[in-house]
Amino acid sequence: MKIVVCIKQVPDVDNIKWTKENNLDRANMLSKINSYDVMALNYALEIKKRLNNSTITAISMGPNQAQDILNYALACGADEAILLSDRAFGGSDTLITSKIISRAIEKYVPDYKLIITGKLASDGDTRQVPLAVATLLDIAAVVDVCDIKNINDSSIEVVQKVEDSINDISLILPALISVCEFNKPNYVPKIDDYIRAQNNKIKIYDANSLEFDKSEVGIIGSPTMVYRAFRPEFTKEAVEVKLDFAKFVSDLLLTNGAKHE
Amino acid sequence: MNKITIFLETNRQNVIEDVSFELISKAYALSKTAHELNGADFIVEGIALGQNLDKVSIEKAYNAGCSRVVLIKQQDNSDILCAKNMAQYLNENPSYVVLFPATYFGRIIASRLCTMLDTGLVADCIELDFILKNNELKLASTRPTFGSELMATILSKKNPQCATVRKGIFRADFTKRPENIDFIEYKSDLDYIENRIKFLNSIMADNKENIKEKLAKAKIVLVAGFGLMDAKVDYFKKLKDFAKKIGAEFGVTRKVVDNKICSNDYQIGQTGISINPDLYISFGVSGAIQHISGMKNSKKIAAINIDENADIFKYADYKIVSDAKKIIEELEIYK
Ligand SMILES: Cc1cc2nc3c(=O)[nH]c(=O)nc-3n(C[C@H](O)[C@H](O)[C@H](O)COP(=O)(O)OP(=O)(O)OC[C@H]3O[C@@H](n4cnc5c(N)ncnc54)[C@H](O)[C@@H]3O)c2cc1C
Repeated sequence: MKIVVCIKQVPDVDNIKWTKENNLDRANMLSKINSYDVMALNYALEIKKRLNNSTITAISMGPNQAQDILNYALACGADEAILLSDRAFGGSDTLITSKIISRAIEKYVPDYKLIITGKLASDGDTRQVPLAVATLLDIAAVVDVCDIKNINDSSIEVVQKVEDSINDISLILPALISVCEFNKPNYVPKIDDYIRAQNNKIKIYDANSLEFDKSEVGIIGSPTMVYRAFRPEFTKEAVEVKLDFAKFVSDLLLTNGAKHE
Repeated sequence: MNKITIFLETNRQNVIEDVSFELISKAYALSKTAHELNGADFIVEGIALGQNLDKVSIEKAYNAGCSRVVLIKQQDNSDILCAKNMAQYLNENPSYVVLFPATYFGRIIASRLCTMLDTGLVADCIELDFILKNNELKLASTRPTFGSELMATILSKKNPQCATVRKGIFRADFTKRPENIDFIEYKSDLDYIENRIKFLNSIMADNKENIKEKLAKAKIVLVAGFGLMDAKVDYFKKLKDFAKKIGAEFGVTRKVVDNKICSNDYQIGQTGISINPDLYISFGVSGAIQHISGMKNSKKIAAINIDENADIFKYADYKIVSDAKKIIEELEIYK
């Protein structure tokens, strides 16, 4: 079975720094693989163990630096890694990103059976790309998958965890799943894995190889645009409480209807 | 006549979910803004899919500001079929703006539909407005960006201009019934498509929904932030127990969830629940935009933070610069 795993490099949000002009301080920013994508990768490794003749292709769109996470994927056991990278891709919104990824899958992994993605990327959290990719490829999709029960060459049975229910769902392949939980320890690559992975070259494709005109992608091609970014200003003037804090809070609670003993 | 379309999410009893009414009332307000800006006439249209639609819900939709309710008739409710049929309807009857609830199903339909219509989609907006740009009406959708401090206002170059909005961001106002109303049943070419997804079994997790529902409706919410972290004492539990004792609800920030101290059912904010209680009190919360966007509609906000420059104080009615742990311990004695 051919499995595609989509992974993204994201800023380490716990360590974000801003410049004085309200821009991301990219020069001093650390990056990492999106944590839900680590789960996606581990599901693929799991399936590969269960089904003979499985291969895993890891795909990422991003700057050259994103090779780091593809090397990590190769070290974990992915068979092939593809980086979609072009200056012209910069600023692509979710629709354009989905077009780039789905075209790459059609072109370079046309016989895929299963696409696995993370539930969301921690930097944008729109959750749109998995479903947009599935729609462009015209395949079924189940989001918020927390377990895989059965899988064979033509179908997969997954457990889905959503707001108000836990569902067992079977899907006819090819299909896409986005995952929200992985209940086993993640594979941690060893030095040997990285050495082995070095022989496996990351394939890099740009707008040209994907047959996109530069005007169809990036900021120009995207249907949405950032009009302005700002720090919200608030006119509220807080009353500063100076003394007897607990008494103040307690009174506030009581005047707002808290239960009294 | 221009229109703003709202996706009406329905439950298994064909009843429209409350969040859709919130969007209808917001769309109604937007239609008034459009008129003021350049004289444009907009109506609000709601679209539901399925075999039937609850009568009371339809009346509520009108009362919230809907001029037209459309029921797209179809056999089953697979996401692909819903999106395809809505796409067909909107291709024949184009809308200027389409808004979706950012619920589990609303997000799926929004992502699929906007991809089919080849248009943009802005997720989890906390403010929507019309503006004039080069003399053209544009939906200005504002959402927090990552990294906690910035908001971004996003425009769409193409119509329909689309956005998703979480439950609790806007308020439904049932006094906006338009003079002329109509109901349309729309029959699409596709009634059924071969289903590649089969639901085998489903367990309702009632409990979880309860926590969220309770928080969404709460009058008083006490929120624990990462500032309550302590090597020796579990202040999260102390605050939760105290909240229970006084009949208030308990919530947390994402950082508390990320550190596995509490389940994400209690998370307040952009990626958690939106709340609008009469009284919100935070204990050791820094005031990141993503958190603020889920609580800024609270009527009274009191914040306790040890750092007098903490961002949370910008949104507060009452500023308490103090050790929140100490206050929790004292509160326990007061009660
Ligand atoms: C895409 C995205 C979505 C997000 N969604 C959400 C969301 O839905 N909800 C959410 O909450 N966050 C969300 N976040 C995370 C958000 O950016 C912040 O990281 C988070 O809200 C911070 O939580 P905190 O205030 O508890 O912790 P911190 O930022 O660590 O703040 C702790 C605060 O406690 C104070 N403090 C320390 N000790 C004490 C003491 N003894 N007494 C009193 N005060 C003390 C400190 O001064 C500090 O201000 C999101 C982030 C991203 C990128």
